Amino acid sequence: MTATDTLDITVTHHQLAAIAEEMGAALIRTSYSPNIKERQDLSCAVFDRAGRMVAQAAHIPVHLGAMPLAVQAAREAVADDRWRAGDVVILNDPYLGGTHLPDVTMVSPVFTAANGGRRSRTLIGFVASRAHQADIGGMSPGSMPLARELFQEGLIIPPIKWVRAGRVQEDILALILRNVRTPDERRGDLFAQRAAHRVGERRYIALAEAIGPEALGRRQDALLDYGEQLCRATLRRIPAGTYSAEDVLDDDGVDNEPVPIRVTIGARDGELRVDFTGSADEVHGSVNAVRAVTVSAVSYVVRCLVGADDAAAAAPLPLNAGTMRPVTVITPEGSVVSARWPHAVSAGNVETAQRIVDVVLAALAPALPDVIPASSYGTMNNAIIGGYDPERERSFTYYETIGGGHGGAPQGPGLSGAQAHMTNTLNTPAEALEYAYPLRVQAYRLREGAGGGGRHRGGDGLVREVALDVPATITLLSERRQRGAPGLAGGAAGKPGVNTVRRADGGIERLPGKCERHLAAGDLLVVETPGGGGWGTSSASGEEPVSSG
Amino acid sequence: MARNDEPWATTSYGPAARVGVDVGGTFTDFVVLEPGRLTVRKRLSTPHDPAEAVLHGLEGLGVGTDVPIAHGSTVATNALLERRGARVALITTRGFADVLEIGRQARPQLYDLRPTRPPALVPRALRFEVDERMDRHGRPQRALSDEQVAAVVAQVVASEATAAAVCLLFSFANPAHEQALGAALQRVGIDVSLSSDILPEFREFERTSTTVTNAYLRPVVASYLEQLTAVLGSRLWVMQSDGTTVPPDRLAVRPVQAVLSGPAGGIVGALAVARAGGRRNILTLDMGGTSTDVAFCPGALVLETQHEIGGVVLNLPMLAIHTVGAGGGSIARRDVAGGLHVGPASAGASPGPACYGRGGTAPTVTDANLVLGRLHPDWRLGGEVRLDRAAARAAVLSLGDDTPRSERDADAAAVPLANAIIRVVNAHMARALRVISIERGYDPRRCALVAFGGAGPLHAAALAEALDIGEVIVPRYPGVLSAVGTALAEVERSYSRTVMLTVERGAAEQAAVAAALADAYADLERQASSELRAALGPVRLELRRSLDCRYQGQSHELLVTAGRTRRVRAGRGPARKPEDKPGAELQAIQAAVRSFDRLHRRRYGYDQADRAVEIVTIRLRARHLQPGMTLPEAPRDQPGGAPATAGQTVLWDDAQPVTAPIFEREQCGPGTHLVGPALIVQADATTVLPGGWSAEADRYGSLLLRRYA
Repeated sequence: MTATDTLDITVTHHQLAAIAEEMGAALIRTSYSPNIKERQDLSCAVFDRAGRMVAQAAHIPVHLGAMPLAVQAAREAVADDRWRAGDVVILNDPYLGGTHLPDVTMVSPVFTAANGGRRSRTLIGFVASRAHQADIGGMSPGSMPLARELFQEGLIIPPIKWVRAGRVQEDILALILRNVRTPDERRGDLFAQRAAHRVGERRYIALAEAIGPEALGRRQDALLDYGEQLCRATLRRIPAGTYSAEDVLDDDGVDNEPVPIRVTIGARDGELRVDFTGSADEVHGSVNAVRAVTVSAVSYVVRCLVGADDAAAAAPLPLNAGTMRPVTVITPEGSVVSARWPHAVSAGNVETAQRIVDVVLAALAPALPDVIPASSYGTMNNAIIGGYDPERERSFTYYETIGGGHGGAPQGPGLSGAQAHMTNTLNTPAEALEYAYPLRVQAYRLREGAGGGGRHRGGDGLVREVALDVPATITLLSERRQRGAPGLAGGAAGKPGVNTVRRADGGIERLPGKCERHLAAGDLLVVETPGGGGWGTSSASGEEPVSSG
Repeated sequence: MARNDEPWATTSYGPAARVGVDVGGTFTDFVVLEPGRLTVRKRLSTPHDPAEAVLHGLEGLGVGTDVPIAHGSTVATNALLERRGARVALITTRGFADVLEIGRQARPQLYDLRPTRPPALVPRALRFEVDERMDRHGRPQRALSDEQVAAVVAQVVASEATAAAVCLLFSFANPAHEQALGAALQRVGIDVSLSSDILPEFREFERTSTTVTNAYLRPVVASYLEQLTAVLGSRLWVMQSDGTTVPPDRLAVRPVQAVLSGPAGGIVGALAVARAGGRRNILTLDMGGTSTDVAFCPGALVLETQHEIGGVVLNLPMLAIHTVGAGGGSIARRDVAGGLHVGPASAGASPGPACYGRGGTAPTVTDANLVLGRLHPDWRLGGEVRLDRAAARAAVLSLGDDTPRSERDADAAAVPLANAIIRVVNAHMARALRVISIERGYDPRRCALVAFGGAGPLHAAALAEALDIGEVIVPRYPGVLSAVGTALAEVERSYSRTVMLTVERGAAEQAAVAAALADAYADLERQASSELRAALGPVRLELRRSLDCRYQGQSHELLVTAGRTRRVRAGRGPARKPEDKPGAELQAIQAAVRSFDRLHRRRYGYDQADRAVEIVTIRLRARHLQPGMTLPEAPRDQPGGAPATAGQTVLWDDAQPVTAPIFEREQCGPGTHLVGPALIVQADATTVLPGGWSAEADRYGSLLLRRYA
């Protein structure tokens, strides 16, 4: 590749990224689920005609790197000559291109305009979207239960065309809507994704016509090569060698056994081989990750490393199929990082993904000692409260993920009380919560002292206290309740999280990390989230003053 | 320094004149608007004491003492960005002192291994809790005792804070506890901002952050405004972030409403220019030295309530503006894989672009424009700074891989590099312009692009081509459009309150809601009427009601208008209109619910016409009805057609250099018609008219650029 090819390659990046962004804007604008609209748990991506991702607008990192597998699954389900303009393939099957069931993914082919029938339509590429829809059926509201197999988690949709050449397949739609708790909302969300695809198709066609489909193809090739070059330049900073690390999940929610995750990373001349051999076998509970989730977590780390290498650039760096070319991810089939059908997977996407990031970072720490932070709070602290609200005369389900402490880093202390790594969703304001549910927030504060000590302390976790005005069922899916986030370079571990119920009668019950409980009116649920690990050894005279830039 | 279209000495202004003043980083701009005349002055800003340039400039203008002066400044913005505010104490409900720091628990940078957030405006040591609690209906669950009040006042005094923000849960439903604390703090000389006063709306973090920022800015903004009013008295009006002006005493107590007022003037001005030219939907492009502000206006100003400025979240109605970190001074560089990036690093005003000859060597967007002949060395700040094309070319060449051997080689090598810089920066801006229009459901191709700021008109036509937009409007004075907009801004004030009323679909249930709503609106209208009476006297007001509504169970509101606009005189209670009767209130609610269903359908493609609707927040806007100032027409003292050329430039393209004429903008009065390629130069901006485009001046002197090929 010559210099002139890459010189204004960022123009092509902007053009393609704009398509993905416009799709995202359209999806946020037209979706129904608060999860999509307010927490922006979605992503949109653009692919070339070979199915290679050329641009992505990701609001949530857990979708990174997993989208190409969705397009691959769709292209395997639909033969090349069976794609028609206006088709939309839907899927959520974690074993056929999905991640966990609430993440509903759609894939559409994009063809050049018909041109009055005189010219046959040529395939330009694909657009795809993924959105976390609030409920997709299964044994509990929100479709993230303490399940033992996939079937309990919700409706499973393999890659099928729910829109054929522009015509919605009403029978498929009826089947989906009959299997979910809030059909009106689902209908709105499904059509919102389709609307986003229409925006994407229009823009993609306009771009292809403006510069010519062939020229666009060449620019896309160059863009992928550029992504690869950027990534290689970063990875070359990692000294050749083999690096490994291991950490464990507390348990899988069914068996009370730690679940090890192990990684061995081979680095050589700008290439990485990330091998999870030695990780636990797939488990009975739902912390199984499908390969797409594991690849996402690795992609996230690579994306952060490329960004760290070019810190001055606020210019968005492309993340595309080229970026991951120098990286090989090895996930033993049947392990907790590459589970097989029909294992339950809902927590793999939220809990195991976080742990994979921490383990990969820990392995790279000796190689990049000036970049890598200590482990984070390493969980999404999922809390679900459901019951019947007599005052408002309706059932309710309240779902929250709670942030924690980030690991201390070579550059300074870890952030306190914030979402880390694979998620970045917002909290529910106390006042919004009390308007909507028979619940009261008694406190929402930083959990002082939760971060591990060190030259740069780990961030503190959060304390969230929610009082119940009515009897309710709570479901907790949380991690790092038994072991704190490990420190790095001599730093101390962060405090583990604690889940407690303070009964109306004064009794206090400590709850396990993953559990379901029926609580009485007047009970108080207290979730204390883990701190981050500390970085570096504290000096004898106490900690050095550090600016918290 | 001053450069005028009319000579100083003969200036005198009629009674209908109005002055607009806009303080920028480098220049303070002054315009005088009168029917049929627009006068422009510029003065170097005095950043150590911004009032100095304002007052000296006004003195020099020689306007009468009865001429109103509208003023936009970045004093509040800069104080916030540079963290030069007061030492503020924060008082919250027990259990919630950290809400300010936690925010919405999201991290600001997604792909950063060590994300950071700016330190909270109030550090932990200055955050205090009181043991009190209101429920969502405003009923005290735990009362606030006198002992609690005394204890926290003592803590605040001991903390040496000079200002306090009081933000208790559900205070908008019942402000009694906040008011008791506020009164006690004021008695000991602490400057107090109450959240129930500054932002009486639900969502505690946003309310707290907004209130704290207000407390933080008050001393700085109040002393600045005192300086001005000491000289200017009641002639002074100040710009707010929602594109309206208020008397300075109002802004002195609510300075948070001025934080985004800088770019607001430009957008008000752009909309006025577009309306005068008969255009409705516009995209605005305000390109300056280090950044570019873009906005979308579908025939009216668009307000948004969620903003983040300098890492601080503010939830107030402000103009929806998106900032791109690239402007004329932005530096271009290559990354490790050879890709070209422009910005966000900027050469600023000092040393500035390489072509300024002030020691800058990094290639900037301005240098690229000069290399390509889109800027001419002879026209720059009225000829004050001669631009050095050789220096620009050398800087641009530093991005290339080889050193050229001859002059001819140098141009051949520099032009593709310069073109790449322009394409990259335009692609960045095009992306932002697309997203802001698509987000609102509009197609950018149906908009006209209004280009201003020093560099906007240089890039506008190329950007329009990238966006498939056929029309560009360049105002008569693109460099001072903010000052023009400030002078044209309306006098308006907004009020809001979260009420959280549920409207069932049955008429019987709706009657109680109608009564509650009528009471809540009566309160707001009384407040508006008496405050505006105090500020303006017994003037005529126009009151407009609107509601934030959502379907029960949703967490995202849509704004709908409620009831018809009504007119009252400030100081009198709202005249009894049919809406005040419960029956009419009921009808107004039903109409609002229907229009919510309609809006929901239009925005989201469906409605839920059988589902209860929640009225989350009620809003009232009170506008001072006065004879409006309009954009003055330009003098028709030229023959039309194409004026005489003032020179020529060589426009470089990837392929072939083209010689293009240069016209002086001052010669381009109404009726002017030009065909590209051409450059149109004026003191504060250069407009590029590419081949395939024509330009026409309308009667306001705005240039309308159209693509014909």
